[in-house]
Amino acid sequence: MKRIILTILAIIMLPISIFAISGEEIVRLADEAQTFKTAKSSGEFQVTDRFGTKITSFNSWARGESESFIEFTSRAERGQKILRTKDEIYLYYPDAEELIRMQGSALRQGVLGSDISYEDMTGGKDRAKQYTIEITGEEKVLGRDCWILKLTAKTRTVPYPKEIVWIDKKSYLVLKGEYYTKSDRLLKEMEVLEIGIFDNIETAARTRISDTMKSDSETVLVLKTFKANVALDNRIFSLEELW
Amino acid sequence: MKFLISLAFKNLTRYRRRTLITAGAIAIGIMMFIMVDSMLRGAEYESVRNLKWYETASARIYNSEYWEKRYQMPLDINIPDYKEKVQKLEKNGYKVTPRISFSGELILNVIDFGEDGSMSIKVTAIDPQKDSDVFHFNDTLVEGRFLKPGEDGILIGSWLAEDIGAKIGAWVTIVTRGNGGFYQSMDLEIVGILNCPNPIVNRNLLMMPISTASDYLEMEGAATEINIKLTDNANVKAETAVIKSLIGNNNLSVYSWEDLAFDFLAVLEADRGGSNMILILIFIIAAVGISNTMLMAIFERTRELGMMRTLGMSDSAIRLTFMFEAMGIGIIGSIMGVILGICINFYVVNVGFDFGFMLRDIDIGYRIQSVMRGAWNFDTAVIAFFAGIIITTIVALLPTRRALRMDIPSCLRS
Repeated sequence: MKRIILTILAIIMLPISIFAISGEEIVRLADEAQTFKTAKSSGEFQVTDRFGTKITSFNSWARGESESFIEFTSRAERGQKILRTKDEIYLYYPDAEELIRMQGSALRQGVLGSDISYEDMTGGKDRAKQYTIEITGEEKVLGRDCWILKLTAKTRTVPYPKEIVWIDKKSYLVLKGEYYTKSDRLLKEMEVLEIGIFDNIETAARTRISDTMKSDSETVLVLKTFKANVALDNRIFSLEELW
Repeated sequence: MKFLISLAFKNLTRYRRRTLITAGAIAIGIMMFIMVDSMLRGAEYESVRNLKWYETASARIYNSEYWEKRYQMPLDINIPDYKEKVQKLEKNGYKVTPRISFSGELILNVIDFGEDGSMSIKVTAIDPQKDSDVFHFNDTLVEGRFLKPGEDGILIGSWLAEDIGAKIGAWVTIVTRGNGGFYQSMDLEIVGILNCPNPIVNRNLLMMPISTASDYLEMEGAATEINIKLTDNANVKAETAVIKSLIGNNNLSVYSWEDLAFDFLAVLEADRGGSNMILILIFIIAAVGISNTMLMAIFERTRELGMMRTLGMSDSAIRLTFMFEAMGIGIIGSIMGVILGICINFYVVNVGFDFGFMLRDIDIGYRIQSVMRGAWNFDTAVIAFFAGIIITTIVALLPTRRALRMDIPSCLRS
């Protein structure tokens, strides 16, 4: 009798175990969902602090998960460029005609005074390998069903030793994130405010990022245009192109 | 010759007021020269001392790869198992202390500082029990107390404390990258305020216990540097070679304070050039003054000169008389100048001039926080004394030569 009950229970549970997805798999799919062979976009940073809101517009080009090039187009920042290669970040200031390689603690500084640090632009997206991932629950964000995942770093080489992310079950977009220091202090928060469809691809159209160490400050990243898998000139991601 | 010297002496006493005025000008020039030289030497001496006491120590051990990346202060390029190296050096009679230096961001909160804010900082983690063997921070405590091992406490430089409004008991948060690159945050209480005489240090000083930093940053028994104190008369180059042989060839390098402070020494060299220019200018001003006074003295005596020539005195004898006279003025002026210089130097050496109002916000290269004191240098007094005499004698030549070119009737008519 006992054996029969166990068999029935096993049969009932079978579909769940077959279709259950692991945390690692979710994160891998989420990373893939945000990585394109090539991409071109434009948008703006809306940086709000105690002095008011400042808007900085940009055009951006990306290749794979580790190369990107941003050129600022708003009047005050026109001509400033950021090149991210696999291992380095370079800044170019046209007024000074100077090229700066961002290193060390400078990477923690916000891009043009925003809450997005240069650090946030670095590193690959291979989080499934770098973190121990645990599904801790489910919650609705922007009316969408999300998994809540806790990521604990396996190595000391990742910037955030702990991350909690909310990943959309349907699109695998990360709709919300909390990023912690080793001492478990919340360092940064991210929340998608609006999802847009660009070129049949669903992606975050408005994202709020705040550095919790800076009060009265937040940055909203607005994506105005986005096109994936476009033909890009190889020279875009070279240092020569910065000058 | 004796006659000429006695004539020159008589002339000096005959025109007493002129002699005193000219000698006074020389004296002021020499006094200024001695004083400025003393101040510049004092600033240099004090800067080097403050550099060794609060910045570089006499020598420092780094991981050999650290030097090139020292401005980024990487924690992963370190000295593993520093305690073993420290013990070895101590056994050989060296005074040493380990440190961990790292950069980060200082987060200030509205409760303790009146408003929220953040700034880029450099933090030095020290061994509170050993640091005073090498550095002199213990003597600079003006408020609160010194660090205790293992506590979540921090010491702050008085200028930095003034700038951010820090008080004892306030809490700050430091966000930094640990060994490997992970973000780490530390909440630390300000336990003491130090008024470090080295302005570069006092402007940015933040120190915490090495054991606390080691835990937070996961250093696993590593330090970024080991600092060594040598005696004042030690041959630093020879000692660094000995230290290198003691620690073995395990990817570590020893740097002398001159290596570590090469940029300061370059500035000092440039300052020295500037200082020499100042001294030369002072000398030129003094020489022009002397020359002018001598010129007047000789021209007002052109008739006397004509008379002497009429009576058959040779041009060379007249020239010598005037030179002896100038030399006499030079001797009087130089003696007065050296005495005045030594007197004023007592004040400059022992009390000094307070340039704190200026040095608070401007970096002039010297490691002096406020009071600029002088240093005794008897060589300068001797040089100034002889230079005063020689210059006075030489500058008398020109107007004498000019006067001697005039014919005798013109001399007598003038």
